[in-house]
Amino acid sequence: MRWDEVDELLRAALSQEVEEGAKRLLGLEERVIQALAQRPVRRGLGCRIREFLSRPTPRWALAGALAALLLGFALGRLTVPSSIPQWSPNLFVVAAPGARAVAVVGDFSAWQPLPLSDPDGDGIWTASIPLPPGRYEYAFLVDGKWVGQDPLAEEYLRTFGEYVSVRYIGGDRAGSSS
Amino acid sequence: MPAEELELIQRSLNGDLEAWGEIVSRYKQAVFAVALSILRNYADAEDAAQDAFIRAYENLSKYDLSRRFSTWMFTVAANVAKNALRKRRRQRDPPLPEVEEDPAEEAHGDLRLAAVRQAVAELPEVYRAPVVLRYWHGLPLEEIGQVLGLPVGTVKTRLHRARALIRTKLLEQGVIHDAVG
Repeated sequence: MRWDEVDELLRAALSQEVEEGAKRLLGLEERVIQALAQRPVRRGLGCRIREFLSRPTPRWALAGALAALLLGFALGRLTVPSSIPQWSPNLFVVAAPGARAVAVVGDFSAWQPLPLSDPDGDGIWTASIPLPPGRYEYAFLVDGKWVGQDPLAEEYLRTFGEYVSVRYIGGDRAGSSS
Repeated sequence: MPAEELELIQRSLNGDLEAWGEIVSRYKQAVFAVALSILRNYADAEDAAQDAFIRAYENLSKYDLSRRFSTWMFTVAANVAKNALRKRRRQRDPPLPEVEEDPAEEAHGDLRLAAVRQAVAELPEVYRAPVVLRYWHGLPLEEIGQVLGLPVGTVKTRLHRARALIRTKLLEQGVIHDAVG
């Protein structure tokens, strides 16, 4: 017998050996699928970190706040972002990250929108509107959506089924009521 | 890679376990042969094949679609089988049973086939795996090298040595008288 015949026999022997064992492979597909279906999804560290950061959990918010406080104390003072102007009764402020357009409407503008701006893109939209002492009703428009309850307002009213905020400038609530 | 197979892999990447089941169905015998060449035991090879398909699915995102899928799959299977072999050696299991013999074989009178099977079964693992990949899977030397993590030169050397060992066995048994290897 020559080597080329041995090569043929070698192939035949290996095929025979594998085929004899192949009966054990019946149902392997189902066993693999079942095993995979029972396993928890394994994700990489980066994926898990991204998922954690994108989750708006109170835990994360608290952790961020605590970190900011610690940083403030470490620096010896708590810093305020420079993009927020010093508070004044004439200042209108809305936190609207991701908004495309924010405006304030009120009786001082005949309910015509006056734009707020966010030049540094931090999501804090502001406008300083010089107003004489008095009582003013107003609301914000965030991307066209009515936001009637300003957290900095002194009162809220409900008119035409919507809230409006009330602000007093000059501090004379009784005298400035109209 | 055939378009149909590529689609199955992409569906598997998207979490479609049924698509992966189809891949298992296509490659299970070849993967089993790789594992058997290293582990030389049907039960262990079966476990290794199952484990290889599970690991391959979990690491499918690392598979480079420009490479042959079979080569990558066999590489996973060879690594799983090698790990199983190391674990088995650490546990100092009793000697492995020989691969089951077919009692009908001798009855059929094909003594030459039985002799070749025996000679292959007695090959050391380092020679046996290249022989199986070459003669059963028909892989080119470069792919055998990729699957086993060996330089092509080493694959060639091992195949030559394996053939020489088989030749010696067959000569001793009088199965061959004059084979030029």
